[in-house]
Amino acid sequence: MAKVLVVTSGKGGVGKTTSTAALGAALAQAGQKVAVIDFDVGLRNLDLVMGAERRVVFDLINVVQGVARLSQALIRDKRLETLWLLPASQTRDKDALTEAGIASIIREMRGKFDWIICDSPAGIERGATLAMRFADAAVIVTNPEVSSVRDSDRIIGLLDSKTEKAEKGERIDKHILITRFDPNRATRGEMLRIEDVLEILSTPLLGVIPESEEVLRASNIGSPVTLNNAASAPARAYFDAASRLRGEDIPVTIYSERKRFLEKLFGRAA
Amino acid sequence: MSILNLFRRRGTAPVARERLQILLSYERSTRGQSDLLGILREEILAALGKHIQVDQDNIVMRMDRGATLSTLEIEILIPHAGIMLAAS
Amino acid sequence: MTAAAAVRSNDSLRLRGRSFMAFVLAPALPITEWLAQFDKWCRNSPNFFAGKPIILDLAGVTLARPEIAELITLLAARGVRIMGLEGAQPDQISPPLPPLLQGGRELPAMTSDGGALRPKEPNSLLIETPIRSGQSIAFPAGDVIVLGSVSSGAEIVAGGSIHVYGALRGRAMAGSTGNTRARIFCSRNEAELVSIDGYYRTAEQMDAHLRGRPTQCRLQDRVLSIAALE
Repeated sequence: MAKVLVVTSGKGGVGKTTSTAALGAALAQAGQKVAVIDFDVGLRNLDLVMGAERRVVFDLINVVQGVARLSQALIRDKRLETLWLLPASQTRDKDALTEAGIASIIREMRGKFDWIICDSPAGIERGATLAMRFADAAVIVTNPEVSSVRDSDRIIGLLDSKTEKAEKGERIDKHILITRFDPNRATRGEMLRIEDVLEILSTPLLGVIPESEEVLRASNIGSPVTLNNAASAPARAYFDAASRLRGEDIPVTIYSERKRFLEKLFGRAA
Repeated sequence: MSILNLFRRRGTAPVARERLQILLSYERSTRGQSDLLGILREEILAALGKHIQVDQDNIVMRMDRGATLSTLEIEILIPHAGIMLAAS
Repeated sequence: MTAAAAVRSNDSLRLRGRSFMAFVLAPALPITEWLAQFDKWCRNSPNFFAGKPIILDLAGVTLARPEIAELITLLAARGVRIMGLEGAQPDQISPPLPPLLQGGRELPAMTSDGGALRPKEPNSLLIETPIRSGQSIAFPAGDVIVLGSVSSGAEIVAGGSIHVYGALRGRAMAGSTGNTRARIFCSRNEAELVSIDGYYRTAEQMDAHLRGRPTQCRLQDRVLSIAALE
């Protein structure tokens, strides 16, 4: 029986899609059967980050409308055989995404996967509320920056009221994933500290992903960062976060980029 | 070849540019057009349906779009019991 | 395939009575000055009126029918939907103006029990979770106690006092039903706005030394005073 996880934030551009791909690939590498679903409508992104953009045949709305079966729309990752992608629609309008349709798809997927990760679009409209509707747990991606924190708080409020679990009076497990963290700026007092973010949001921490060029490189190539460069700082942080999702209790480490070999060799300043 | 080249990783931006060129040229050409693959599938099903009974589940379509050449792969699972003899 | 004709059962029309709580706006002359003050209030509390039912109390002004209509239009342009009017002459009020309401009572809420009206017992609302941005708690019947923080972008409106055992970062409006003795307490004052019986103060107007500390707000002679709690 699958665990349905929503990756959401409220604010756009903070790293939801990157995190969905990274966590999905990390869980798949641990042997879990994982499906990632792109809930954006009209702006498809997860397929690009996963490197599957050339293989999209049918999308989420095609399945909702019965134009295609789920098995025809799911795209298997070429590198990890237990990782699947259900892409978003590029051309339809938001009203085509119905709650009943999504409910039926999630129900069908529950028996086939260990994890169903819903990549939420930004905002608090239809795509975002549908992505969280059937979630058992939530990862709230937050940058250590004021408007991101405020938007994350808003989303947490919605998770506690607009999900099926919340309506039944059940608890949905919520975790904060801090992304684009820069330890130097935090020590200089120019960036919100992790403690500040957690205190304001009153929600437990899943992990801290450092700011890194590796994320850009991975998305350029079309590979989740945990697959493209598993030893990099953000990848290691994502692997830890994935382990914590599975219940492991790992103390949070702030990984930093290791100095490039050449710079060490030639004594270049960092 | 200098030792530096051995260690320097190939910049990833050229890869990104190539992917985007392929993807966007495809998306621009299909914008505004109706769903080609859906139409193809319906017509293929209809053509098959004249000779064989095939369930929608038994048709798998896979695609791989390239810069100059795209591959469309259609796999049809035909159960033996489904073959009807056409009237001669 | 023909559809069967729907057969509707012959139920009688049900008309029932129900009481709701609404906010009352009471304009004063000159209207332009009052509107300017109103706009200032709205700048500090944007969206406060969104979706809330508002009654316009015209007892303090003498307006002709076209002027009432004009005022309602001006308020509608500011996102305030007037659902009823008070304190006007019946002959001034006719469609398309909102209906004239009579018999409005100051709250605390009354409950009806077989026709006789009895005042409700003093009441308080206890919330044990943080209040998130965008959430709005309205409890005209009494005090609101929050065990947790109130985020920026959240608001609490209470007929009685407000107690926040946590950081108050949003808006707290106590004594909303006219209770001048209501107070606001918090463990950590980072409030965007506090108000008691409509007398308000925003974050900019608060002394810097009060920020981040346990504080108490009270109304003294129609002046809102905020002091540190020791």
